[in-house]
Amino acid sequence: MTMLKSINRLFVLGVVASGLAACTAGPDDTGVEYAPQMYHSTPYEPLTQIQSTEAGSWLDSNPEDGHGEFYNSNPYNKFGMTMIEPVEGTIKRGTYLADNGIDPTDYATAEERLVNPYEGKKEVLKEGKELYLRFCEHCHGEKGLGDGLVGAVYKGVTAYTSATVKDKKAGHIFWVITNGKGRMGSHESQISVDDRWKIVTYVQTLQKQ
Amino acid sequence: MLTKKQSMSKTPRFVLTSLFFALTLLLSTSLSAQDAASEEGAADGIPTDAGLVSAGESLFKANCTQCHAIQEKVIGPALKNVHERREKEWLINWIRNSQKLIQSGDETAVALWEEYNKTAMPAYPFSEDEITSILAYVKVESTKEPVAATTAATGDAQVASTGNENAVSSGYLTAILVVLVVVLVLILIVLGLIVSVLTKYLKDQKGELSEEDQEVVGQKFDLQKLLMSDFFIGAVAFIFVALLLKTAIDGAFSIGVQQGYQPTQPIAFSHQIHAGQYEIDCNYCHTGVRKSKAANIPSANICMNCHTAIKTESPEIAKIYKAIDYDPSTGEYGDNTQPIEWVRVHNLPDLAYFNHSQHVKVGGLECQTCHGPIEEMDVVYQYSTLTMGWCINCHRETNVNTKDNEYYSKLVELHSEHSKEPMKVEDIGGLECSKCHY
Repeated sequence: MTMLKSINRLFVLGVVASGLAACTAGPDDTGVEYAPQMYHSTPYEPLTQIQSTEAGSWLDSNPEDGHGEFYNSNPYNKFGMTMIEPVEGTIKRGTYLADNGIDPTDYATAEERLVNPYEGKKEVLKEGKELYLRFCEHCHGEKGLGDGLVGAVYKGVTAYTSATVKDKKAGHIFWVITNGKGRMGSHESQISVDDRWKIVTYVQTLQKQ
Repeated sequence: MLTKKQSMSKTPRFVLTSLFFALTLLLSTSLSAQDAASEEGAADGIPTDAGLVSAGESLFKANCTQCHAIQEKVIGPALKNVHERREKEWLINWIRNSQKLIQSGDETAVALWEEYNKTAMPAYPFSEDEITSILAYVKVESTKEPVAATTAATGDAQVASTGNENAVSSGYLTAILVVLVVVLVLILIVLGLIVSVLTKYLKDQKGELSEEDQEVVGQKFDLQKLLMSDFFIGAVAFIFVALLLKTAIDGAFSIGVQQGYQPTQPIAFSHQIHAGQYEIDCNYCHTGVRKSKAANIPSANICMNCHTAIKTESPEIAKIYKAIDYDPSTGEYGDNTQPIEWVRVHNLPDLAYFNHSQHVKVGGLECQTCHGPIEEMDVVYQYSTLTMGWCINCHRETNVNTKDNEYYSKLVELHSEHSKEPMKVEDIGGLECSKCHY
């Protein structure tokens, strides 16, 4: 009898153990969540979207809303997205400087009209260099010679010392970062106006090296 | 504008050019010791003395290599023998202001402009001497065999072969192991056979054996007795229970921990290629990391900064094109866009607050501290446990990055009054519940 009992206990322990072992996360499985409602927000999450109305229906705390607990989509948006783009014509705070009514491809006017607020300010060079290494170096290279690792395969990357660009003024460089030129794309969405001017200030030291 | 070819009938032109060429060769070789090559020495107006060529080389490398190579087409055409294709005068005009030449209606210029999809070559304010030196360099390089290309190719081949070697050697290792195991098993069988043969032999000669030897020969391995012994049952039960308990405890501790989660993404984006091989900075794409709570998933326009030109044929890149309704053959965007549904990897429960900019910009942490060797991951997985214990542990061990940050100067002063240890995150409230839970 005692033998049978202990075998029984072992069996229960085995079931519990294998059950618990299945809680672990795997490549395509998040594993068991403790307090799952905490992992699946009720408010719209900008970087999460769960479109299935069935998701989390086993845990439904509000049966009247017609969807499972984990459903997180905005039915009023296209594709049920939880993020929406700002209204057209919205100007992000701090970017009004960028829009001077200059045509995106009119580099000459930009060069003439746009003034670098950091002109001659050496204290921004350190930050400018940091930003340059983050946003420009992989194409333009550490010294701005157009020899970055990506630049080497992308081709057509300008060296700042080349005869055509070495005398370009701050406004021109700013306009190129903002709108792109040739094979370079616009970096307006990635770099703020302020940061762009800091990069411009640093790039001007690379032109004259 | 008519070229030479069009203005002359074929035969005399051939004779003339070959004569010209022979003369050029003769002149440049026989007179190069003197300064003959300097001005009108070469028939095409492009002398090739060493000083000029080296000046041209440095100019070419600083200004032209981004778009031109001698042997192959890059952005612009291959420049091999360009001095034979075009007249020097034309080349000077083109280099100084290609747009002006195109607008003047020059046939060759317009044809080039059309052929290269209206990609403008910038105007270079070079003097005539400088252009001559560049052309001299191109002329000299044109006579050389395409060396660079072959070395690059062999380089690739070498990389490939070393990769193969690794695979081969690991294959060998397994083979050797298998062979060893087989040999050992064979030895075991042979030994067993020898033992049984010997025992049988000894048994057949009963009379001549002593008592002790008899015992040894007659010894029987009682498997059943061993299996039923208390020690054996106890040991097996202990190991079994211990294993089960370990599994159970490990399993219980993994509840709510998503370490190792590695979902398949809709586009096979590889951090190993982008961040590892090409060393693109994390901030370039994850632009929110220093500015907001979330590092952000990059929008497709960031992909398109490179992928308008790179890997445009790849089926994975085609998925981006489809999402943003981009036609790679025309380079135009449509209106039929749709979101790319990336699968979220890292997800903290709502009960905890985490802010990227606070850790990366203020704290100066590297991405890899929490996200692991991201630059080696083909498919991203959750590297850290992201448990509270893990957070707290780091807050206890990490010194606050107070360098060049005036905000902390008073705090550091106060802290050093009663402690000799450097100021840790826990000393400035890194363990307060309400810092992360509110």
